[in-house]
Formats: sequence, C-alpha cells, structure tokens
Amino acid sequence: MNLRTLFPNYAVVAAAVSIASLPIQARAAEASETLRAAVDEVLALAYDAKATTPLSVRVRPVVEKQFNLEIITRRAIGPGWKQFTAEQKTAAIQLFTDVVIRTYANRFEPGDRPVINYGKPVIPDAAKPALRELPSTITAAGKTFAVVYRVEQAGDSWRIYDVIIEGVSMIANWRSQLDPIFQKGGANAVIEALQKNLAQQPLK
Amino acid sequence: MKSVFRFLVLSSCLYGASVSITRAQKTPAEPEAAVIDDMDDYATIKVSDPLEPMNRVVFKFNDGLYDYVLRPVSKGYTTVVPTPVRSGIRNFFENIRFPVRFVNSALQGKFARAGLETEKFFVNSVAGLGGFIRISDEVPRLAAIPREDTGQTLGVWRIGSGPYLVLPILGPGTVRDTAGVVGDYFLTPINWNLRENLEWYTWQVHTGVQVVNGVNTLPDLLETYDAPRKDAFDPYIAVRSAYIQYREAAVKK
Repeated sequence: MNLRTLFPNYAVVAAAVSIASLPIQARAAEASETLRAAVDEVLALAYDAKATTPLSVRVRPVVEKQFNLEIITRRAIGPGWKQFTAEQKTAAIQLFTDVVIRTYANRFEPGDRPVINYGKPVIPDAAKPALRELPSTITAAGKTFAVVYRVEQAGDSWRIYDVIIEGVSMIANWRSQLDPIFQKGGANAVIEALQKNLAQQPLK
Repeated sequence: MKSVFRFLVLSSCLYGASVSITRAQKTPAEPEAAVIDDMDDYATIKVSDPLEPMNRVVFKFNDGLYDYVLRPVSKGYTTVVPTPVRSGIRNFFENIRFPVRFVNSALQGKFARAGLETEKFFVNSVAGLGGFIRISDEVPRLAAIPREDTGQTLGVWRIGSGPYLVLPILGPGTVRDTAGVVGDYFLTPINWNLRENLEWYTWQVHTGVQVVNGVNTLPDLLETYDAPRKDAFDPYIAVRSAYIQYREAAVKK
C-alpha cells in the first residue's frame, strides 16, 4: 500500500467524519453564541451607570435564567444530595441561588468594563455530547485571566453549571467546603450553614 | 508572598462576567440523567493536610496580619500611587522575572515556550521601555504564555505536592511549592548579589528595589487572597481548595 492508494481512503474517512460532526459543531457554535450574548447582557447590567437598584436585584433574573441552579446546588453539595428529602432539596436550591447571586454580584468592581475574548468550544467528553466547555480570557485592570464556562444543554437551551477561573472550579470549591459539613451533620447542617452564611453576608 | 496565588484576583469580574446562557426559560423538574449522574466529575480533590490544626492557627494569624498591617499599607499605597504607575511597576518586575520562566520552561522540556519567553522579554525590554509597558500583549503568540515556575517544574517531574502548608506571612502552599519558591528566589534577578559588579547597586538600592516590588505586589496579592475567602462557608478550606486546584492546573499547562 502506498500513499496514493491510502489518500482516497483518508479523504472518504475525513469527509464522513466532517459530515457526522456537523450537528455537534453547529451546537457548539450555538452554545458559544448564546454565551456571548448572555455575557454581554450581564456586563451591560453591571456597568449601567444609571442604574439605581442594587446589582444583586438586577442580575437575579439573568442568573436564574442562565445558570442551572439545581445542578449547581446538587453538585456543590455532592454525594450527600441523594440523602436530602424533597423539602430539603427545595430549601437548599433556594438558598444556594442566593449564594450564587451574591457571589456573582459582589465580584464586580467599579472601573473599566473588562475585555473578553472567546476561544473555540470544546467537547470535554465524547460520551456526553450535551456538555461543552467554552474557553475565554478576560482582561481587566491590566490583568488577564483564563476563564472556562461549563455549559450543558437541557432541552433547547444551554445553561451554565460551572465557571473555572485559572483552573479553579467554583463548584469544586463549594463542594470542598460543604461536603465536610454534610459528613458531620447531614442535610440539616448544610441548610443551616447556607442560612448562616447568607445571614452573615446578606445580599446587597 | 507567592505570586502563584494571583489568579483569583478578579475572579471577581470574571465570575460576574461569567454568567449566562440560554434560550428557553423552563427549568426541567429533574435535570437530564446524563448530566446529573456524573457527580464523580466533581469528586473533591484529595488534599494531604496532616498539619491542618497548626495550619488553621497560622491561617488565622495571617488573617490578622493582613488585616491590621498589610492591608493598611496596601490601601495607603494605592491611594498615593496611581493605577498606571502601579501597572508599569508590575510589568517591570514581571518582565525581569524572565529567568524564572525561561529556565523552568526549559527544565520541563518546553523549549518552544522558552523561546517565546525570550522573545517576549526582548520585545518588552526594548519596545516596552525596559519592561514598563507590556507591549507583547499586542502580539497574539506572546499574549498568553503560561507562566512556569520551579514548583511547577517539580510537579512536571512527578514529584508529589506533599502536605498542604500555611506559612506565616507567605500564606498557602505545599511542601513542593515551598521548595519551588526557594528555586524561584535564586532565579529572580532582583535577588542576585549585583553589588560586586555594579558600583551603584548599593545595599540601599537593593533594599529599595525589594521594598518597591513587595509593596507594589501587595494590592494584587490581597485581592487574590480575598477572592476565595470572601463569602466562604469555611475560609480555610476555600483558600486551600482554590490553591490546590490552581497549582494542579498550572502544572498541567
């Protein structure tokens, strides 16, 4: 077998792969475009000089729409989630929604609007075609950070379920704190910890 | 203090700017099985922390030190020195740390990266007025070179991170990274003994350079340190998790 005989085979395989991956590529582009639109929406809210209401109030609808808060809560709590009752799950999601909104709103600093550059979407695991990682860099105050958004497709929407900043996963960070609390005191201890944390540092 | 920890700094803007995606409003009553069953994707990173009781004491001590000593110094400095000047000084000292990045890129076998670091150093030193302007950001291939250090080199050489360690003043680290800091120290030109060769480089000048670098770095470091700590359920674990994740990711880059 020589290169000339191999070439047509490669061409056929390449064409087949390209055709087969078209829907996946299209969906990846779709996820990326949706992310860009959402980030723009958030930045517009955060840097709206005329706004009079607190940022946490303004961003709540956006966060509730764009983040998959149930997934975030269950993953932040970890395996212990399976032992939560339905009522405890509902309470935990409500409380954690406030935690996410507070985290989100508190992070914006006054100053120039950050510059965001987006990379190509990545499918982290071929066995999970509904997941995407969307790399980006954010430059603010002369410093640049690598940020990866993890999004998943649910129905016809894409929703964020984790943000990784310079290699640090928000969910992994939350879980490292909440899992020991669950191990020590169960679901009620986790809910109490969420309530206590929100009482100490309420939404502004 | 460890520059490794600068990352979360504006996790701020990011987590903020990070938001959203969507088209449909509806939240599924139960998320899709393919998504929710992969809890192991987020299995908590195992951290060796046999010194946790002692580390927590030092962590608390550092908190007090940062709050009552370093933070006022940092605040005073940022009030007096305008942002562009601070950025210029930061760029200068970052540029001058070129040997740390170059040597460690090479020691990890990343010769192309070492070459890019060299190019970046010359571009910033010449066109960036001695490194005060990070002109290399205008060149795409030089804009986002992962920064290498000795701790990462040890990690690439498959040396385990060792126990988590919180040191007074220096803050979070591991045994491996603490050894790495020593390596970085000797590779950083501002720590070199230049007095024998440069008459004007007296001990006063040497000390002044160290102080300017330290104080100029302070606001960034405190901002970085505060990011995972702020709003945390357990600040000690939040900082530990952020540190370990950050370093593991840096070694893999």
